[in-house]
Amino acid sequence: MKKRTLKIKRFNPTKDKKPYWQEFVVEAEDTDRILDALNHIKWYVDGSLTMRRSCAHGICGSDAMCINGKNLLACKALFKEVGDDVTIEPLAGLPVIRDLVVDMEPFMEHYRTVLPYFISETPPPSYGERLQSIEERKIFDDTTKCILCAACTTSCPSFWARGEYIGPSAIVQAHRFIFDSRDDGAAARLDILGNADGVWRCRTIYNCTNACPRGIEVTKAVGEVKKEILFSTL
Amino acid sequence: MAALYTGKEVDTAVISKLYPTRSHTGAAQGGIGAALGNLEEDHWEWHAFDTVKGGDYLSDQDVVEVMCKDAIDIVYELEHMGLPFDRTSEGRISQRRFGGHTNNKTKKAVMRTCNAADRTGHMILQTLYQQCIKNNVNFFDEFQVVDLIFEEGECRGVVAYEILTGELHVFHAKGVMIATGGWGRVWSVTSNALTLTGDLNAILLRNGYPMEDMEFFQFHPTGLHKLGILITEAVRGEGGVLINSEGERFMNRYAPTVKDLASRDVVSRAIYLELQAGKGINGERYVHLDITPETVNHYFKEDDARAVDGKLRSITAEYVQEKLEDISDFCETYLGIEPTKDPIPVHPTAHYAMGGIPTDVDSRVFSDENNTILSGLYSAGECACISVHGANRLGSNSLLDLVVFGKRGGHVMVQEVKEKEFGKIDAQKAIDKVQAEFDAILNSKGQNSPNEIREEMQILMTDKVSVFRTKEGMQESVAKLRKLKERFKSIKVSDTSKCFNLELLEAWEVGCMLDLALVTAKSALARQESRGAHAREDYTERDDANWLKHTIAFLNSDGSITLKYKPVTVTKYKPQKRVY
Amino acid sequence: MKAIGQMPRPKSGSTFELLSWFYMRVSGLLMALMITFHLLWMHLIVGLDNINFSVVADRWMYPITGTLWRVFDLLLLIFAVTHGMNGIRFSIEDYVHNRSWQLFLKTAVAILLLFLLFIGSYIVFVFEV
Repeated sequence: MKKRTLKIKRFNPTKDKKPYWQEFVVEAEDTDRILDALNHIKWYVDGSLTMRRSCAHGICGSDAMCINGKNLLACKALFKEVGDDVTIEPLAGLPVIRDLVVDMEPFMEHYRTVLPYFISETPPPSYGERLQSIEERKIFDDTTKCILCAACTTSCPSFWARGEYIGPSAIVQAHRFIFDSRDDGAAARLDILGNADGVWRCRTIYNCTNACPRGIEVTKAVGEVKKEILFSTL
Repeated sequence: MAALYTGKEVDTAVISKLYPTRSHTGAAQGGIGAALGNLEEDHWEWHAFDTVKGGDYLSDQDVVEVMCKDAIDIVYELEHMGLPFDRTSEGRISQRRFGGHTNNKTKKAVMRTCNAADRTGHMILQTLYQQCIKNNVNFFDEFQVVDLIFEEGECRGVVAYEILTGELHVFHAKGVMIATGGWGRVWSVTSNALTLTGDLNAILLRNGYPMEDMEFFQFHPTGLHKLGILITEAVRGEGGVLINSEGERFMNRYAPTVKDLASRDVVSRAIYLELQAGKGINGERYVHLDITPETVNHYFKEDDARAVDGKLRSITAEYVQEKLEDISDFCETYLGIEPTKDPIPVHPTAHYAMGGIPTDVDSRVFSDENNTILSGLYSAGECACISVHGANRLGSNSLLDLVVFGKRGGHVMVQEVKEKEFGKIDAQKAIDKVQAEFDAILNSKGQNSPNEIREEMQILMTDKVSVFRTKEGMQESVAKLRKLKERFKSIKVSDTSKCFNLELLEAWEVGCMLDLALVTAKSALARQESRGAHAREDYTERDDANWLKHTIAFLNSDGSITLKYKPVTVTKYKPQKRVY
Repeated sequence: MKAIGQMPRPKSGSTFELLSWFYMRVSGLLMALMITFHLLWMHLIVGLDNINFSVVADRWMYPITGTLWRVFDLLLLIFAVTHGMNGIRFSIEDYVHNRSWQLFLKTAVAILLLFLLFIGSYIVFVFEV
């Protein structure tokens, strides 16, 4: 058990004019999660500290936040990696609702525009599954992992500069369908993605790949979509 | 699933306290069971028997048959919706072995669980959400349902608290379906999310409606030591074995035929007994789950385990990395170990509620022990109890349960809603009732910390109402829980803000959990036998003569509990001794 | 937050943006090669102390290689100016949110681009000692 200092960016729109930093000192083991510390503060020190959280093991994506300058899931970040002095603030690029809670609507809106659902022109087989080979399944395996945590999109400088940019997450979600051999909606999605605020705003900065808590190769996926648009147009 | 079906025909709203993709279905790892027979011979009748046996014969067999029969079509339907299942070399849906699922002739484990890597739940959740987007279903995200509206014995809507603004809203409806999941947070070591607090179950209890089989709560055998994070049964399905401090594969003694793939309650008890006998690793309270290729292949040889093509089974490190990617990630992140090189420290973790809201085969809710339908209310998923899982749930049957009964409920809701008019409700009265409840918490002069109360409840339940139970332990729990409920009446909540006040909601959730814990302890105390997940040290055998029945528990307004019972439906499978 | 499901109106793909992206890579790669060549030439063949107006003027006047040099320099100019100005356009789109200012700045960039290309090409074509 060691003493750890957490500097958290607070903001309550009903009370505060602007955000301010508040420091807390907690005792935590190296293997404790940042979320454990945040919960401890909320439950036993300051009940007004507000953050989203649910599964507490990196699968639901609720608690993505900026920890020591890097977008992480608070329930996957352990003190032994993050260190004893921890600065925590909400995700950048999305409006802050309160403390560490941001408005996910712009993010979800971008997600919805890429037709993020299975589209098929042919009727399914009357009995049984559509066939798909192991190799075909592998092609889009990486992008099935996305949990919509927004860590990638909110780590992207292009998104910070221009919120109309559809963002890496939406592109990843589209990729999962574009490269699914059973899906027929690729052309429609490529059309949606192939404009100034779609895929072409990506500058291959790689922040997204660094931020993704699921280890998805986001930039690579975006690159594959760009290539697909290129080759299908020319 | 239900919303997908109702959304196509009637005005549908999905109200969720979280963004839908955050739901705990996404944490389900192993797979969804269906007797497709893609890799080896399988039949839905075998699946049904396995489920009934897994439920220690408490399952209602007619409903189990429906579920297992529907399973095949529903898995294909999910695939048609785009779910990216893993594939066999023939391009068909890949299946794996899972605990309790057997070939009924050879009694050996059968490959029945259809999976998408080890994130099947994530894929099902995403696919269904995507389909809802496609079909323009209305979502009310981050709205917490805090009460149900009943008039003239019928459910006519809900009252929901908008987390963003603190406003209460009344949703006037012709049909309401509850699918709010479990309440693992009643215990301290659990695989469940922080938000799984059984709110709607408590609301129903407080409105005078019963819960069924609450004493049956599953403790999954392999949760990460201390954290309780789930390590899927699929690890054992792919060949993982449980080892004690003496290096012994102890499941050989407890389940000679299927060994580590026995049903979860059997394995949990085995681990518990090993720990009690002092055989925990390094004297601590955990055993090892070993999926390193050397150990696994060694035991494959010892068992003469054959693949479908007749060759001796064998795995490699790459195979483990690929098939069990997510749990490898958990082990590395939280414990700094690599499952292909080191064994994983595990022990039982509170995982699944077999009990819940009593429903029929089409997800309609019952209002009493006589199966009287409660008009306008439906329920499916973990929070419901039909009962398919009986006294213990088999792995990969939960995802199946959700989609089969979600769909059936959806269909029936559409039909019944179309034939109805909106019933009259007093919206203001409904809001005032909830507002009073919240005001009592906010304006309380009490000093008790709801968080301390929650922690005490969790420790109490984990100690006394867990894998093994005793009369004294359960009586003590009931008494202490009543005291905690008293203390809860004078709690202090410091955050009075209207915007995103999670402190208020968390406190309210503690109240819900206390009610569920009390009903669980009382139901467990009354059941004088050991069956499935309910294991008593003072009544160690199953007692079909007296106890082949479902518990129906009512929470009275004075806080006392009335227990009634209803019979189990037995069709084909006469209860026998349960051996794995 | 309330989210009413709505069928989004798909935007149509922009071929201009696709080509612009492709062009940036092609021109970038070519420039990398050309500039390396130019750098090496000026350092190793010409020698840094010897660089002056007449060096460039002379090599432009040679019979065949002169034309080659002019073409080389012209291409380098075209690539650099278009690649650079397009890059500035990206930054303007990223950081200038006011539509009128965006229009103004992009127009200014376009004019600058045309001006530089015109001047540069004119000189490459008509230069004589």
